Formats: sequence, C-alpha cells, structure tokens
Amino acid sequence: MAKHNAVSPLLQKSTRPSFLKREGTRTVIASLVSIAIGMALGSVIIVLVAALNDSITMKSAWEGVRLVFFGIFSTGRNALGGLTFGFNAVSIGDMLFRATPLILTGLSVAVAFKTGLFNIGAPGQFLMGTAATLYVALSIPSEKVPAALIWLLAFLAGAVAGALWGSIPGLLKSLLNINEVIACIMTNWIAANLVTWFFDAHNELKNAAESGKIGYVCKTSSNGVVTSKLFLDKIFPGSQVNGGILIAILIAVLVYIFMTKTTFGFELKTVGSNRYAAKYAGINDKRDIVISMAIAGALAGCAAALYYLSGNTEFYWSTYQTLPAVGFNGIPVALLAANNPLAVIFSGVFMSMLNISGLQIKNLTTYNEYLTDIIIAIIVYLSAFSLMIRMLISGQLKLFHKKQKTPPQAASPPDPADEESGKEASA
Amino acid sequence: MENDYVIEMLHITKEFPGIKANDDITLQLRRGEIHALLGENGAGKSTLMSVLFGLYQPDGGVIKKEGKEVRIKDPNDATALGIGMVHQHFKLIDVFTVLDNIILGAETTKLGFLQKKDAKKQVLALSEKYGLKVDVNAKIEDITVGMQQKVEILKMLYRKNEILIFDEPTAVLTPQEIDELMDVMRGLAREGKSILFITHKLNEIMAVADRVTVLRKGKFIGTVNTADVTKEELSTMMVGRPVQLEVEKTPAKPGKTVMKVENLCVPSRLYKHDAVKNVSFDVHAGEILCISGIDGNGQTELINGLTGLDRISGGKITLCGREITHASIRKKSDAGLAHIPEDRHKHGLVLGERLEENMVLQRFKEKRFQRCGFIKFDEVRKYADDLIERFDVRSGQGAVTTARSMSGGNQQKAIIARELDREKPLLIAVQPTRGLDVGAIENIHARLVAERDKGRAILLVSLELEEVMSLSDRILVMYEGEIVGELDPKQTTVEEMGLYMSGAKRDGKEETHHGKA
Repeated sequence: MAKHNAVSPLLQKSTRPSFLKREGTRTVIASLVSIAIGMALGSVIIVLVAALNDSITMKSAWEGVRLVFFGIFSTGRNALGGLTFGFNAVSIGDMLFRATPLILTGLSVAVAFKTGLFNIGAPGQFLMGTAATLYVALSIPSEKVPAALIWLLAFLAGAVAGALWGSIPGLLKSLLNINEVIACIMTNWIAANLVTWFFDAHNELKNAAESGKIGYVCKTSSNGVVTSKLFLDKIFPGSQVNGGILIAILIAVLVYIFMTKTTFGFELKTVGSNRYAAKYAGINDKRDIVISMAIAGALAGCAAALYYLSGNTEFYWSTYQTLPAVGFNGIPVALLAANNPLAVIFSGVFMSMLNISGLQIKNLTTYNEYLTDIIIAIIVYLSAFSLMIRMLISGQLKLFHKKQKTPPQAASPPDPADEESGKEASA
Repeated sequence: MENDYVIEMLHITKEFPGIKANDDITLQLRRGEIHALLGENGAGKSTLMSVLFGLYQPDGGVIKKEGKEVRIKDPNDATALGIGMVHQHFKLIDVFTVLDNIILGAETTKLGFLQKKDAKKQVLALSEKYGLKVDVNAKIEDITVGMQQKVEILKMLYRKNEILIFDEPTAVLTPQEIDELMDVMRGLAREGKSILFITHKLNEIMAVADRVTVLRKGKFIGTVNTADVTKEELSTMMVGRPVQLEVEKTPAKPGKTVMKVENLCVPSRLYKHDAVKNVSFDVHAGEILCISGIDGNGQTELINGLTGLDRISGGKITLCGREITHASIRKKSDAGLAHIPEDRHKHGLVLGERLEENMVLQRFKEKRFQRCGFIKFDEVRKYADDLIERFDVRSGQGAVTTARSMSGGNQQKAIIARELDREKPLLIAVQPTRGLDVGAIENIHARLVAERDKGRAILLVSLELEEVMSLSDRILVMYEGEIVGELDPKQTTVEEMGLYMSGAKRDGKEETHHGKA
C-alpha cells in the first residue's frame, strides 16, 4: 500500500478495507471456525457412542476426544496406561506423506472450480495417472536408463494421462454442453474398468515375488525408481515422508501464481465467474473450459504419480468396483481452502492429519475403525460448511433472524437488480 | 371523503447497514384515487413497497388500514388486507391458460374438485365490468404482453383486492397499449379501487394520477396534486435540481458508411424460425441510428448476430470495409466494434471481479497490460484509476471495488467508460440507460451525443420511446424480426411509431396488418 501511495496520488483512491473486513481474512476465519465446529461435533459423537455403549467407558471417550484434537501429537501410552503427547516424528512424517496426493487432488478440484466447473472426476484422473505412472516406472529397465530420468518420465506420464482423461468431460461440456458432473462420474467408472483391464493383461507388472500380495502391482522401488527423500527422512525418521510433499507445495505455489498473475489464469477465472461476460469480451470460453479440465486432470494425475513413485505404496489393481477416495477427498480439501491454491496446502495437510488422528483413535482406544471413519467423515463434512460460516461472518446470511434481507453491500445504494428481486420476492 | 384513506403508511423508516432506505416516509392512499409513487432508482420505492407487502419489517412508523393500525408480517398478511400487485415482470405460467393463471392459488373448489365453470363465470363478469377483454381459454405464451398485463390485473380483481399496486406497468407496452391501460386504471378507480402507480415516467403521471408522492434518496419530499404541478417541477422534486429533460444536440452530419448490414438472418435460440429476417441497413459515421420496437421483436438477436454472440444463418456484415460476417467476437471487436451490452450483469461485467479487472476485460492481453503472459497489475490499476476519474465512476473503494457492490448507474458508467475508451469507430449501445436515474441518463445521453459529434457511428437499441425520439438521428422500427419502417425523428410522432411497432403499419405496405391477435 505504501508503495502505491508513493507512485501517484490517484492511487490513494483505491483503499483496502481494514484487516478484519478483508475477504481473505474472513475466509480463513470461516475455515477455522468450521474445523472447530466439526471437531467439537466429532467429540460429541464420541461421547454419545460411549454413553450408549456399555463396552466403552467414559474414560476412553475422554481419550478419544483428546485424540480427535491432538492425535497427531500422540506418542502412545505411558507405563501407567495414560495417553502421552509430544513430537511424534512418524505421525507427522506420515501426515505429510499422505497430504501429498490430497493437496494435488485438492488443487485439481480448486482449479476447475475457479473456472466454474465441478471436477468430480479426480478419482478417474487419479487412476489413469496411476496406470500411466506405474507402467512407465516399471517397464523402462533401470539398468539402461538412469532412475532419475525414469522417475521424471513416469511423473510426466501420470500428469499427461490425467490431463487427457480430464479433458474428456471438458470437451463434452464445451462442444455438446453435457454437464461435466455427469461426464466426470461416467469417466470415473470407465477409468476404473480400463485400469483393471490394463493390469489384468500385463502380468509382468504384477507383484509375483511376495506371496500374499496377489492383486497388487509391484512397487516402483522394485525397479529402483523412488522419489528422493530430500533429507526429510532426517527430520521425520521412521516415517514414509519423501520429497513429494515439497513438489506438491511447489506445484500449489505455481498454480497460485498461474491463477492470479497470468493473463491465462485471469481468462480462466473470468470464464468461471461469468461465462457470458467472458464470451462477450472475446474470450474463447469453450477452449478455456477444455484447458481448465485438462489442467485439473493433470494435477490429479500428478497426485497419483507422487503417491506411487514414493516407492512404499502398492497399487491394488482390481479397482473396477471402487474409486480411490483420495480423488473424492480433493473436494472437501478444495472447499475448505475456498479454492485458494495456497490454502489447499494447509487444508490438504489438515485432512491427512485427521486421517492420522483416526488411526491413533483406532489403535489406542476401544473405538473401532468404522466409528473412527464416521467421526472423521463428520469433521470433513462440517469443514465444507466454511462457505456458510463465511456468509454468516459477513452478514449475508442470518440464520436466527426474522425474515429480513440485507442489501449485499452496505456502502452503496441497492442497485436496480436487487430492487427487482426484492419486488419479485413479494409475489 | 377528503380523509377516507384505505392505506396509510405513516413515518416509515427502514434502515439497512450503512443506508437509510426509507427515512420517515408517509404515504396516504385515498379510496378511489390513482396515486403515483415517483422516484429515481435507489430512492426507496421498492423498499417502501416491500414494507407494505410484509417482506421487510419497518424500523419505525406504522401502517394503518382504514384508520386501524395493522401489522404486516409477511405477504400473506398483505393479501389478506386486499393488497395486490402487478409486477414489472409478470408472474404467469406460460403454458397455462389465462383462466388457470387467474384462479391459480385462489381456486374455487367443491369437495376438493376444481369448479372451473364458476370461476370462468366470475372472470368473465369481471372482464366485462372493467373492460379487460381477454380470451380466457388462450395460453399465456400465445397472447401479447399487453394481454398478459390484463391477466395480471384480472388476477388481482379475482382476489377481490381493493388496493392495486402497479409496478412500472408501461415499460413493456406500445403507446397504444399504454393509452388503453390508462383507461383501465381510470375505470378501476371509478369503481372504488385504490391504485398505487410506481413509475419514473412523468408524462404518465400527468396523464392519469390524481396525486403523486415523491421520494428522493430514501427521504419523503412531498405529496402533491398533479393538477397543481408541472412536469418540470416534478422532475426537480425527484432529482433535487433542475433537469434537462430534452437532449441537446445539433443536427447530425453523417459521414461515410461504417457498417453495412445486408440481408442478415439470425436464428432464434428457442424456436426453429429466424428471429431476425433479411435485415439490411447502413450505419454512418457521425450519426445515432436507433433500432426501435417492442421488446422481443428480434432486437436482441440482431445485436447478438452483429457482435458475434449468436451465430448468423445468412447475410453479410461489413465493418470499416472488412467483411466480418462470421468472424469471432474478438475479431469483430478488433475490427472496430465497441458494445454496451443489454444485460450489464450477464454480459457487461464480471460481478465477482474487481472494477479494474472489469475495465480491461477485453484488453488484458494487450502489450500495455501484460509481459510474457503475466498481467501488469500496476498498469491495470493506473488505467482503471484514469477511467474512473475521467468518467466519474463512483464506488466504495475505487479500482479494487468488487463490481457487484457498485450501484447500477455506476456499473453502467464503468461499462460505458470501458467501451468508449476503446475508441472503435462503431459503438453499439443496447438500452444504455435502462434502470438508471435521471441524472445518470442525462450524463450518458450527453456522452453519446458527444461521441457522435466526434464522428463515431452509434447504433442504439432502446425500448424507451422518449429516448428514441430525443436521441436518435434516424429510426428503424423492428417488428417480428423485420425492419418495417425507417422514420425521421423530427417528422414522426410517438403515435406513428407505435403503429409501426405493433405491426399495424409498415413501409411499402400501408394497409393495416395485424400480426398477433
């Protein structure tokens, strides 16, 4: 601001509202509030379940509540059987590892949202990315080609496969005006079956060495292709963390710069906020919809690539009946972040933290994994209410008031459109 | 009789955060009178009516029905008190018949079965009594807008409403239909109905209203007898300063042809036929050519075809010597076309984005505003601030204001600033003053005339007859997708234009010709 004032007196006209009234501040507060409400409600459920269930004591309910909030810092139990908390390198490292694909699928959904599209096709794009990544990573012999190059090729293959898969709903939307949600759901299942069929036919990729691993594709580490740890294993020894999280963060920053600073990002955002105005202004809205979906697909493909190139994850290839949850979880990640690419980093980490907390509850208390899943689901669900909370904060929504409408912006007189809608409401 | 008030709204105050929409407003409606409510946009007319309808609860003041204080908590209360309203945009179901629409929500039933015959008898009696001739068996989609309005009026009468509110009822009518409506209103008043007539058209107030209440910026300015005031006095009350009602302009000096349109056909989006049929005309530099007509006669499609928003099914468009018939929107715009769109919220602005971003909506790819694909935000800011200053666009936070939070007039000013500053030889302005207050209209009219005098060609589409008559140098009337007449505003009258607009008259064919029943 100070810089602007120095440049020209004209620019002083463009004042920013005070810190608390800024859109961004409100968004952050709203997300934090909804997280808090979610966790509080999760705790209530824990207590309720204990109250209704004789086999769960109130003591263990209290432990469960503490784990909902601080599970990530749980270090197990002490000699007396009480819960202990502290820095748990394994939990935090695992959290970052699991956050990696969530951040990327979250970005995938967020980018599409910004262009006015609901990318519910992230699971399919993730699967296509998985297949492409694994195929490239496992079938190029590492004796002949440097592993780093294979890694790069596999990563790119994942991104490209995701992009191609994502662009199909984009094309259908822009050419035939088919709703992208429907097209995405269709392509999800097509992807699930295609991938199963693909691995069914490629026995050389399956893990035959280990018994009990029937149905799994080899880890990429079997070909020596593994994401570098980038010294993160020194900070979080014993965990699954690797450099993927740094790559995901870097991609999030790049997406942020792309969306907010470039002409093309501006175009996409304009198409998303008002497709008609974009068209009027000479923007090729149809092309932009395809590109936006392709970018979204590429990000979901990257999520798959980083997840499986970690070298410590295996792919269960018979996916035709299930879709990867990490794809769908991109939706709450994006919602919680209000589609801001930088905020996606934090909401992605938060989601995976919940995951770890859930594991801790399952391991340390008498709550079983299903209950844990329900509690986590409630927290996720309420987190997605951040939009409503934001409207409550800025006074656009009044839940417990008498029937009254407030003009959207206080400072200016209501514009005719609002007046019209007011009149229409009187019907 | 002097104080026989059916509805009194006394000292009504309604405050929204940061704005007093109604500040101590008193409106007293006598039985059997036509009472006009006059005010610019944002004067508080809608808020006041919403209070009367129970949509808002007033912060202060009381409402009395026949001297007794009443509380109107929701629209159902208002209906129970006999208050009915004809909305600017009709609330009719297109595929239902006239009769069905009238009885909808107030059906006579016996044992749960509809008694349509009784209802029909009642409706026919009402239509006879008040001279509202409609075909009760016709479907709404098949009848004219004027007829639809009659259906809305019958709806109120069928519900035995005593207080009838007409919200900008003449906006969609031809001059002939307006006269007819005025007669109906007089008849209703004679029968003892009380009419509240919301408008900003002074001529109509002078013609039909007994008294008029004027609001300005949420404040009560006064209630006067129309017999005691002149149009000029009313407009001064409304705006707060003397207003130039006529557009001041010198005769046009048309130059070379800027755009040539030959046999243009544009398909309709909804139906199989063409919405624009074989339309040909030229627009010259230094003239304001106006396309006039009743809403929905192909004007929108014509402009969409010209600007590229809709695809064209036949014909040829030449702009500045280049053929641009099937060029993309951007190519057409680059070839020399600026466009003030009809719907500023749909096409004109991205409401969720900042004002400065809207100012460069078409230009952000120009070298001036970007380097290697990165937007130069400081340049955008500088440019927007310059436009805001030159065109007096007012907003809360200057260039960073979200477009949505600006008032309608300033949103339009922003669009006009953007389009004029692109300095294209042809400016297409579609209803550039719709929904704006008198002050803003004055400003925009003056700008358009100034641009004309600079030698720009202006193609104006307007539904406001006064605007057409005062602003244009040449008038083309569109009826059912065709241009049926070319008129000289200095020689024609509103009545003659009305005949063309309703299809009763057309150039070359002087015999009467009724399009729609």
